[in-house]
Amino acid sequence: MHVPSSQQGSKLAALIHSKAGFYSFVFLLLILALFSIGVSVSLGQVDIPLGQTYRILLYKITGFIIGDPSGVVSGSYTDIIWSIRFPRVLLALLVGAGLSLCGMVMQATVQNPLADPYILGISSGASLGATFAILVGFGAVGMFAQYSLAFGAFIGAFGASLLVLTLAGLGGKMTSVKLVLSGMVINALCLAFSNFIVYFANNAEGIRTVTFWTMGSLATATWSKLPLISIIVVLAILFFLIQTRILNTMLVGDEAAVTLGINLSSFRKFYLLATALITGVIVASCGMIGFVGLIIPHIVRGMVGSDHRRLLPITVLIGAIFLVWTDVLARTIVPSVELPIGIITAMIGAPLFMYMLVKKGYSFGGK
Amino acid sequence: MELTVNDLSVSIGNHAIVQDVALKVTNKQFVGLIGPNGCGKSTLLKSIYKIIKPAHGEVFLSGLDVLRSSPKVVSKQLGVVGQFNELSFDFTAAEMVMMGRTPHKGLLEADHAKDHEIVREALRKVNLESYAGRSYNSLSGGEKQRVILARALAQQPQFMILDEPTNHLDIKYQLQILQIVKQLNIGLLAALHDLTLAAKYCDYLYVMKKGQVYASGKPEEVLSKELIREVFEVECEIYRNPVTQDLGIAYFHM
Repeated sequence: MHVPSSQQGSKLAALIHSKAGFYSFVFLLLILALFSIGVSVSLGQVDIPLGQTYRILLYKITGFIIGDPSGVVSGSYTDIIWSIRFPRVLLALLVGAGLSLCGMVMQATVQNPLADPYILGISSGASLGATFAILVGFGAVGMFAQYSLAFGAFIGAFGASLLVLTLAGLGGKMTSVKLVLSGMVINALCLAFSNFIVYFANNAEGIRTVTFWTMGSLATATWSKLPLISIIVVLAILFFLIQTRILNTMLVGDEAAVTLGINLSSFRKFYLLATALITGVIVASCGMIGFVGLIIPHIVRGMVGSDHRRLLPITVLIGAIFLVWTDVLARTIVPSVELPIGIITAMIGAPLFMYMLVKKGYSFGGK
Repeated sequence: MELTVNDLSVSIGNHAIVQDVALKVTNKQFVGLIGPNGCGKSTLLKSIYKIIKPAHGEVFLSGLDVLRSSPKVVSKQLGVVGQFNELSFDFTAAEMVMMGRTPHKGLLEADHAKDHEIVREALRKVNLESYAGRSYNSLSGGEKQRVILARALAQQPQFMILDEPTNHLDIKYQLQILQIVKQLNIGLLAALHDLTLAAKYCDYLYVMKKGQVYASGKPEEVLSKELIREVFEVECEIYRNPVTQDLGIAYFHM
């Protein structure tokens, strides 16, 4: 099974491989992220002029006012932006970055480019854990509800990862087919149970709809939701930034890694725990958003290669930007209707998944 | 740097693959390990370089207790060219070779100009200098093998273990790889298939049969037609090659 690289002979790749080129690319993506935030915050039921949006954000974040203060310091635009749309776009950034990071780390951990929290059923494990946490009500109320929800989701995600990997590893080497099939089974199982819970606990306080859990939504974003997910995602990014050499050796396999001085098995366990934690926190706050962890690392590998020192920062940035724009699409593609964001990511991701499965050089039945 | 293996046994399941093997590679020797398929050569090598945990035995690299030391410590001294080198993900040849610097690097340490120089030099030694930016998965089996050798070279090891390093290679690169490693002037232990090449390049040979060392000695002492009949079950005649004066083996039909 191979992921053909487009780096060979590509001028873009050669440019990104140079140090200056890489940093310029990161800088460009940061600019693009800022632009995306602005556009995303401006668009919606009420369209707000882009200039006004930036002035309001600048004032709210730094206290600095450019031009006319009226309509910036307070007003309906300010309220819409600051209490509804801005937390939502921040959540989109964090979720996009987190899911892409998760996919990338899981792919290295199982040495298979098809790994993704959604495809392997980790996300549905998380949603089962979360719905179960609500059902048994160890959520109590207020702030604790959020943490118990995330904790339940983490336990569910971790359980699902262990199950999938055990199932896929039965009878020797973990093949793509076994991995994908195990993911499918666990996905179906967890989904059935969590839908069962949602269906019967219909009236219970705090439980959300099947749509929310299976197709995801960023609509519930509030400021109070952000601290937990930001801490987890930011810490995870920083942690994996210092693990890039180990992630690289994971891609060359266990044997080669040992001869290069790294025993992967302990790292692998820890990384699975970390990805379960990220997935759990993300699913608890916005449901299951599929395929992001599959699409983004795959595309970025085509641009910058497999070396995680370049792959990780670019994956995280592009993942964040990608989710901001899919959220914009979800909100605006059908007038006055908000689509679940998971529909959009699946429409983009599933065909890519199909392509990856049938692509030449992918010994689908083999190794 | 000397390699000493004492009393090493490996079992997989209830099956003893390697039994009480002792061998020694003295300073800067090139020692070959020969034997038929399934005689336990690879398993023996893998247990020396810490992939397989032996049932008992000890491995010392000069003063270093290999089996009780961390992979990181061992990998600073010991380079390995293994057999299976397929990737699911793609790297450029230069990136693959740069991984050879991993044992010498802290977690946050960047690659310095010196590391890039070492990588270039390693690629040059295996004649793949111009392949630095090529994708590893697009290379032929022989080219891949040379990249892996370059990676081991970039480790700057004091001792190297090679598991059938000349597999997949045409004769030019078989000779070239053996020549390169011999010129490194470090201790070498290599499993080899080709007996005439083993005789030509090795200073000393260990012959394995059914998981045990069957014979050992200098190539011209140990390679006899009786031994080859016993170990490989092939009739042959040993002669001096009139052109090269190397040891030659003429195999007969069974």
